[in-house]
Amino acid sequence: MITIRNLVKQYGTHCALDHIDLHVEKGVILGLLGPNGAGKTTLVSILNGLTDFQEGEVEIFGLDLGKELQAIRKRCSFIPQSLALYEKLTVLENLRFFGAIQKISGNTLRDNIDSALSINQLHSLRDQKAATLSGGQKRRLNIAIGLLNNPEILYFDEPTAGIDPELRNDILETIRSFKDHGKTVIYTSHYMPEIEKICDQVAIIDHGRIIRQGPLATLLQEEKGDSAIIELLNAGETQLRQLVDQHDDVDLLNATTLLMHHHNGTKMGRLLTALETENIALKQIRYGTTNLETLFIRLTSQGKEHV
Amino acid sequence: MFKAMLIKEIILLWRDKQALAALFIMPAVFILIMSMALKDTLSADRVLLSYAIIDQDTTEESSRLRNFLQENRVMAEQKVTIVSGAQEQELLNGTLHFVVTISKGFSRNLAGKQNLPQDLRQDGPPLLQVAVASELKAEMLTLIKAELAKAVLRLRIDRMRQELSLFLPDLAQGLQNIDFEGQGLLDIRFNAVGAMGADKRPTSTQQSVPSWIIFGMFFVIIPMSTIFINERRQNTLMRMSAMNISVPALFAGKIAPYLVINQIQVWLMIGVGIFLVPLCGGDALTLGNSLVGLCMVSFSLSLAAIGTSVLIAVLASTVEQATTIGGIINVLLGAMGGIMVPKFYMPQSMQDLATFSPMSWGLEGFLDIFLRGLGAEAVITESLALTGFGIGLLLIAGMIFSSKRTRAL
Repeated sequence: MITIRNLVKQYGTHCALDHIDLHVEKGVILGLLGPNGAGKTTLVSILNGLTDFQEGEVEIFGLDLGKELQAIRKRCSFIPQSLALYEKLTVLENLRFFGAIQKISGNTLRDNIDSALSINQLHSLRDQKAATLSGGQKRRLNIAIGLLNNPEILYFDEPTAGIDPELRNDILETIRSFKDHGKTVIYTSHYMPEIEKICDQVAIIDHGRIIRQGPLATLLQEEKGDSAIIELLNAGETQLRQLVDQHDDVDLLNATTLLMHHHNGTKMGRLLTALETENIALKQIRYGTTNLETLFIRLTSQGKEHV
Repeated sequence: MFKAMLIKEIILLWRDKQALAALFIMPAVFILIMSMALKDTLSADRVLLSYAIIDQDTTEESSRLRNFLQENRVMAEQKVTIVSGAQEQELLNGTLHFVVTISKGFSRNLAGKQNLPQDLRQDGPPLLQVAVASELKAEMLTLIKAELAKAVLRLRIDRMRQELSLFLPDLAQGLQNIDFEGQGLLDIRFNAVGAMGADKRPTSTQQSVPSWIIFGMFFVIIPMSTIFINERRQNTLMRMSAMNISVPALFAGKIAPYLVINQIQVWLMIGVGIFLVPLCGGDALTLGNSLVGLCMVSFSLSLAAIGTSVLIAVLASTVEQATTIGGIINVLLGAMGGIMVPKFYMPQSMQDLATFSPMSWGLEGFLDIFLRGLGAEAVITESLALTGFGIGLLLIAGMIFSSKRTRAL
């Protein structure tokens, strides 16, 4: 459904996307994961035709993005991170406006609005001004606007930013349900548990390159065998940072947890000796219990800075 | 799509009370205030001078002199009794421009000083004495002198007529028929050549209505830039781009609603000029004879106002910046273009400068229609200039917007 080959995007001398290759099948939810400035937004912007690129090929629905942009856009929808809606219009007025400018009218517009309201549980709020909605309801409206053209591909850019966990789960469930309707979702987020929860596939992007991609389960399985999580009791962050600097394949996972990649007896022995020397008490060691976060930290340049 | 854009902009505007006030109430109030404030200043019949008379002669002829002076419409006698020099001084410092004293012996003196008794012939008072306010301009002194001379001349001619009637009754009859306020005294005809020409001065309503229509039309800067910047800030514009809305379509979607809004403004303000101003005691606006010309001016003005608004909206980073810059530009263009102060009150150098303001082009266009009664062909130049100005600014705004959008991503 989406095929990207050798994609290059440069801003002056800065290479935002460096020979990207990516393939996304129909009905897949792909999590696009990467540190800030890694190139996620640039990639999504290119896929939506909002910015151009210097090299490479992008095909969506088998159509060339450069030549068939308008046809592609009609079948896609971009839900930006910011609340791209009109606060002074009601929920219904917003939906009517964004539907009408996409040249959707009559019964189709009415049905699509109805469906978007239902999916996002906004029916009872349809005559309420957007300004009076709660943060979560505005997020839902933001998503509802994106559903008006009944898109086959949905691009979500951090759709749950700044909302409470309960609403976040509701929105994630909604997005997950799109898969059941055969829709393809490209989902960028900083919340790795969200990606784990709803995505079938993951692409980790860093410094403009996709450094790992594939089914989430496969990636975690590959990582599982040779990593270890070391939980500590009385560690100071400065102490731990020094230890991380002194030991290869060791990263700081959080203020009291270390992650060792490709562990073996020698490396673990050296680390435990160092902990003893520093009088840092060990709580437990878990072998092979990796998650997306540990994988992300190991793979990206921000691993050693990530707490 | 345009219908949706139009409805959206109108709803947003309708729910923005401040913008509504700036677009509709502010110019209407300005039209009312300025029409009333400039009513006398711009009236052809306005009173230029106030005066009082001290009649020391108290004869029939001094009384007639008084009546003759009252026939002049630009001078108004104030009925005050002046009993002292101090009082006269006070009045000349306040409400009066001059005080005429009709000297004792005025009636006898009319025929010439040789008729006076010997004791009065050399050192007697003049016929009339005039005390004037010190700041009175030279042209006003000339006017006073001419009016007094005319009144005295009438009295002398009457005296002559009475004397001649005994010997030459026909000639005396001829003298009686002289029309001193018309063309009988001196047959000068003021031919109204170019009465509809560029120098014809508007009434206060004819000046105020087009001026404040134009000012109000340019105030679309405020709501337009506010909505545009909010759309940009909240990525609504980006979302619309992702929905296949091109930059030209996006701009067209902005232009169409505000063209309509501007036309509503024009006709509402014309309605104020025609119906509301007379209710408040001012002159009613006369529309002229060319609806086509009026529409040409108002549409081209609208394009100029919208072009300015879009450019400011594109250049400004925040709503505060846009409203401040927009307000300043509006006031400057208005002051320069003869909106605040009519151009004919400006010195030549300022009038030359005014030709650089699009508001001045629009004002001249409206005055061609309202005041000079000209047709569509007379406003082609102004309309083309305004249209070119508006489209030029829109093109620049489009280029800047596209460039900024590419850089932002």
